[in-house]
Amino acid sequence: MALQLKDKDAYQRLNYLYQAAHCVLSQSPENVELARFYCFTQRTIARRLVLRQDPSVKRTLCKKCCSLLIPGVTASTRQRRKNSRTRFTVVRCLSCGQSKTFLNDPDHCLWVDQPEAQLEQQKQPDPGPSIQKQPKNTKPDVSSKPSAAQSTAST
Amino acid sequence: MPVSEALVQAKIPQDLVKDLGVESLSRTHAQAFAQAFLKNSIRQHRHHEMKDMLKRKALILGYARPKKDKSKRNSKKAKGLNARQKRERKIFQIKPEHQRYELFLPLHELWRQYVIDLCGGLKPTSNPQLVQQKLLKADFHGAIITVVRSKCPSYVGTTGILVQEFKHIFKIITKENKLKVIPKRNSVFAVEVNGFVSHIYGSKFEQRASERSAKKFKVRGTIDL
Repeated sequence: MALQLKDKDAYQRLNYLYQAAHCVLSQSPENVELARFYCFTQRTIARRLVLRQDPSVKRTLCKKCCSLLIPGVTASTRQRRKNSRTRFTVVRCLSCGQSKTFLNDPDHCLWVDQPEAQLEQQKQPDPGPSIQKQPKNTKPDVSSKPSAAQSTAST
Repeated sequence: MPVSEALVQAKIPQDLVKDLGVESLSRTHAQAFAQAFLKNSIRQHRHHEMKDMLKRKALILGYARPKKDKSKRNSKKAKGLNARQKRERKIFQIKPEHQRYELFLPLHELWRQYVIDLCGGLKPTSNPQLVQQKLLKADFHGAIITVVRSKCPSYVGTTGILVQEFKHIFKIITKENKLKVIPKRNSVFAVEVNGFVSHIYGSKFEQRASERSAKKFKVRGTIDL
């Protein structure tokens, strides 16, 4: 019981840091450094306490420089294709140039969303809802991009 | 031109707001976003132009056999930056134009909500020891912090929003829009939430913000300044 409570604190902290990064970026979209610092702290905490973060959170953080990826502000989102069928969403970090590639597959289901994953971690509540409870600070994208990304990224 | 500009700045129609699930930003917010967006998208262009210019000129700066680019093979995989690269790129340094107090007020408001949520309401009746236990593991970015006691008298009385916490240092932004760097060692800080004031002994706090969440604190050592 005590262990569970301690984890809850840590998740709250991660949640706060994630929201703080969003808050800073919405206040001044060019202040990438501070947002990056918060995301870096968030990542190191998760690393130290061995906490699993939701894929939707992980997909908005740059793996190389830890900055928060918001399309249009700190990242560019493009649709690429390999051959006629397979299409990708490429998210590229504007500050370090690292890119993430997501396959556009409408039938894809994340492991976290599958019922087996819930069964497996019965003693530990799913970290998803606590972290992405209210990322309301994310801005609505001004430039309307093709939102095919949502076919995969929607979790 | 003015017509198209007005079109760009037009708000999203009311009936669409519900369908799309988005809200249009306030004017200043939208402007800030648009400027950042344009800056980010235009910068690349300039870079290309520069490259094109250099391409057409014959520039020979000594010949060196092109090394086999090993980094290209694992370029897809993120490797992270090492300490020197971080220092060179100034990853965490806040630029002077962002060091404004009012920019950080929403952050403080967010922090307040977080702490109240963390301590379960934070009523005056709640057990102070329990709250302190929680605060030890809490995050202090965004808190309004005051130096109460210090070995160096000129630090005493400095108040501001804590922006960054490092291993030995708090970075504070004051109301006069100044970024102050205050060492943790040999100072006592006060944090105030809803009339609940708690003191932080900086000498005991000398860890990184991330390490503190995993570390256990000794119950009571001798604290001297």
